[in-house]
Amino acid sequence: MTEADYPQCRIVPLRMLKPDSSEKLLNLVVKISGIRRMMINGPNLPRTVPYGPARGKPNPNTNRRVITVGTSDFELHVQVGSITLEVMDDSVIEEIRALCDAFFAEKNFPYQLQSGRKFMKTQASLTDYAKYGPNVDPAVIGLTDPRKKEGPIIIQGR
Amino acid sequence: MAYKPQYGPGTSTVAENRRRQMNPDIELEKVREVTDEDVVLVLGHRAPGSAYPTAHPPLAEQQEPECPIRKIVEATEGAKAGDRVRYVQFVDSMYNGPSQPYQRTYTECYRFRGIDPGTLSGRQIVECRERDLEAYSKWLIETEMFDPALTSIRGATVHGHSLRLAEDGLMFDMLQRCILGEDGVVRYVKDQIGEPLDREVLVGKPQDDAWSKGKSTIFHSLVGESYRDDEEYIEYIVRVHTLRTKYGFMPTEE
Repeated sequence: MTEADYPQCRIVPLRMLKPDSSEKLLNLVVKISGIRRMMINGPNLPRTVPYGPARGKPNPNTNRRVITVGTSDFELHVQVGSITLEVMDDSVIEEIRALCDAFFAEKNFPYQLQSGRKFMKTQASLTDYAKYGPNVDPAVIGLTDPRKKEGPIIIQGR
Repeated sequence: MAYKPQYGPGTSTVAENRRRQMNPDIELEKVREVTDEDVVLVLGHRAPGSAYPTAHPPLAEQQEPECPIRKIVEATEGAKAGDRVRYVQFVDSMYNGPSQPYQRTYTECYRFRGIDPGTLSGRQIVECRERDLEAYSKWLIETEMFDPALTSIRGATVHGHSLRLAEDGLMFDMLQRCILGEDGVVRYVKDQIGEPLDREVLVGKPQDDAWSKGKSTIFHSLVGESYRDDEEYIEYIVRVHTLRTKYGFMPTEE
């Protein structure tokens, strides 16, 4: 459990982002100080065909590629539909808003910046408890799918 | 009194487009051209140029039982030849897609013969004899029933019709069966079940927004016409629901 409730916000573009745009946007966002946690959501891009007659065959997809954010490399598993952020205080959200305004004006499609407190988990659920046990690091909760082996990615500050 | 089908209610453009697609007397605008080989490749049921595998001997070679219905209904070309039954499945985006599952089924039932459509919330499948299927698929791809960006031929893994479009305007496809080339032309690089093709199949450039909006048969209050704005449609649907609810109790209109 996080000790205090931190403000959260969610960037929702009208169009789903390509890896290049996501990489560019995320690299701009991570330069803002005061971001605690960040999560990327979107529809899955599986490595193999999940069902149908071609089930199990490889699924080459240009949207599934390794991107570099800050100093960390990781593979995008989803087509980026929204980016949820947990920040230290509300002024950080305004910085993110200013950045996104400029970014999406260039892209020629609008976006929404929703702000609130509970876009991502702040408390361990039963599934989290079963997966991580009672002494889980609160920063990890809600960041990754507990069924997946891969953990969260740590992006170093400036 | 001769029956004159009305096809559907409504005063909006969407309603008019729906009637246009359904009415077999109206010839739909041909927007693009694909070859027979292209269609065979995307369907992925047989190798281009190969003979049609058969499910039974041609009708001409077999003794048919005495049946009045067989005398009335002429078999389709595929049925005459004894072709296998194969399928094609389409997915249309809710963001001004040129058609939608129920609409496709109605249209096909009015315009095609010997078909078995399956209507689902986000996809529509039609099964028929293979050579008939290829002809029908070609028509469905070439006419205004298809938009390279907003319609997709997907045999399996169809997720995407209700999602936001991708940055390049294409509907989301987990298997990325089609891609938008540098020249702006959409090309299929995988067949409908997601197996890579030997060569790309070009299906033309995506239609512009004005065209998509003008030809759409799906209501969407944000990007297109709103359902609530079509009073005649609302009146019709209210009537259907009222009668359905009363049915079995007092199925009469007051």
